[in-house]
Amino acid sequence: MKFHWFHLMAYPYLPDDFKQRYPSVWVTPPAAELYDPVKGHQVYNDYLDQLEFAEQCGYDGICVNEHHQNGYGLMPSPNLMAAALARRTSKAKLVVLGNSVALYDPPTRVAEEMAMLDVISGGRLVAGFPVGTPMDTNYCYGANPVTLREKYREGVELIVRAWKERQPFAFNGKYTQLRYVNPWPTPIQTPRPPVWIPGGGSIETWEWCIKNDFVYAYLTYFGYMAGTAVIDGYWETVERLGAEPNPHRVAFLQFVGVAENDAEAERLYAEPAQYFYNRCFHIDPGFAGPPGYASIATIRKGVRSQVRDSAAQVQGKLLSWKEILDRGCVIAGSPSTIVDRLNDMADRMKVGHLMLLMHYGNMPHETVLYNTTRFAREVMPKLRHRFSEWEDKWWPKDTLPEIRKPAPIGVAAE
Amino acid sequence: MLQREFLELSGGRQVQVHRAGQGPTVVWLHGPHGVRKNDPVIAELAKHYSVVAPVAPGFNDVDELDEIRDVHDLALHYDDVLEALKLDDVVLVGHSFGAMIAAELAAHVPKRVAQMVLISPFGLWRDDKPVADLFARPYATIDRILWRTGEPPAFVTDPANFPNDPVEKAVSIVQAMTSVAKFIWPIPDKGLRRRLHRVSAKTLVVFGADDAFVPAIYADEFAGAIRGARKAVIPDAAHMVPYEQTAKVIQLIEQHLGD
Repeated sequence: MKFHWFHLMAYPYLPDDFKQRYPSVWVTPPAAELYDPVKGHQVYNDYLDQLEFAEQCGYDGICVNEHHQNGYGLMPSPNLMAAALARRTSKAKLVVLGNSVALYDPPTRVAEEMAMLDVISGGRLVAGFPVGTPMDTNYCYGANPVTLREKYREGVELIVRAWKERQPFAFNGKYTQLRYVNPWPTPIQTPRPPVWIPGGGSIETWEWCIKNDFVYAYLTYFGYMAGTAVIDGYWETVERLGAEPNPHRVAFLQFVGVAENDAEAERLYAEPAQYFYNRCFHIDPGFAGPPGYASIATIRKGVRSQVRDSAAQVQGKLLSWKEILDRGCVIAGSPSTIVDRLNDMADRMKVGHLMLLMHYGNMPHETVLYNTTRFAREVMPKLRHRFSEWEDKWWPKDTLPEIRKPAPIGVAAE
Repeated sequence: MLQREFLELSGGRQVQVHRAGQGPTVVWLHGPHGVRKNDPVIAELAKHYSVVAPVAPGFNDVDELDEIRDVHDLALHYDDVLEALKLDDVVLVGHSFGAMIAAELAAHVPKRVAQMVLISPFGLWRDDKPVADLFARPYATIDRILWRTGEPPAFVTDPANFPNDPVEKAVSIVQAMTSVAKFIWPIPDKGLRRRLHRVSAKTLVVFGADDAFVPAIYADEFAGAIRGARKAVIPDAAHMVPYEQTAKVIQLIEQHLGD
């Protein structure tokens, strides 16, 4: 099993009565009123320090993602963050989860930037391509929900092809027309970096990932107990299509808080968790399902509504720490508690890539480092062996043996 | 009663068309609820006219939208529909999305349309009087913005008109919303203002005074941009004005077409 340290980069200074005063943390929270860029300077640099620290602790991947106009996701450009990390790290893989391809015209821009990241980092890139949430794509970026998915798939097809082809080619797509596709640079990894697709519960995405050999990364904030139905649907699709049931073709996101015991876990993690669920996770329900975003087949299957139901259960409520734990949103406690729970998760879900949220809400920097360290020392070694009988075919293999680390260049004395 | 048929268009597309009544032909371009079995407005029109009501692409099957990529394709699709119906010098009466389609068709192919009534049309934009975002609210609350009382009337709750199964009912609403969203996302200004000068049809613009979706001030925008157009703003009515003030709207239509 591999372990990836995932940052959402929440803004930690939302007012106490945010939920009462503002209808949504996403799309419409007035930036000039709520965001302080001077505080933001410290916040960004702390967050990048945390991701760099995760490498030192031995996490396999460090993850960034893309959100727009969002009080709990301060990374409109994950590639900028990954670029900063590429220079300051040398071992951890850069899991960019990812670029919402349909928002970039032409999508070859994404092929270019990701190849730059792969080359700068010495072949450490995992290329994530989410379709993007309705909030990010349809409401913030004005993309038409009716054509979003088709445009996205065409864009991914173009990017992957641009990385593979040996000669410039013309691309006459429905959404992109290019006479000369020939992006420089090319990635180090051949034929391309591993592609991961962060998804919700859209049934077409499962088939598409399996057929194209992409990892399906299920990102949910509601923990593995609520996420099992979606992962089950994915594995049923794997079986139906006759694909290899290799756990490494799936990634799953889980909030974690490691402590000495339950009491310390509550003392350290209850407030940041409640900040996240009760303050950050406050999204205007009108933004949840623009027409055309989900296919009719997905609506009929009712998968998405399960996901939305779990979100709806949280919306408008103030969750206690106990409720957050009972629902499995956050797994917290002593190292042995966490090992037990994650073994249970691994048994149920057969997920080879575990993405961990170890900072959430307004968690103080020192607590993040503590959580990160204890997980790496006391939890990771006990789970490392899980699924080792399977080869991980969806992980960078062409990373350079010697990665050039940035070194300060001295200025010659006068 | 409504009669239903399927029409083959050139290019291989199919369209479902409903017919009712006797008299001079009126093409009814429906609003957000499609063409329903017991549609009181079609029933009233059918007392004096031969009503022909094509179903907009996507309302029955969203896959129909695949190759109708923009409003231009949409206008040409309706030109194909009228061609298949063998109708020239057409009288169009459109409501809501159907009124936008009527205006686009009359702007793209002016010679095809002799007279038209645009009821609660959208397709224009004013920064100071924005059209409400129909798509940034849960589906269950859409009635609040469409109907003056905020409550769906018998037309919507009549089990003959919508599927009883909750999932299928949701699918039916999503299909309709998807069809509209494709052509007006994120702002319903796709260049119609630049084209409206081409319209030669004798035009009446009708709005409900309390329209919370498209403010009634847009009556001036449409009437001002179409040569010789007249307007009527009906009190005690909102976006669903033909269903809320049916007698008044029918009277205005008859007057306009009879003049």
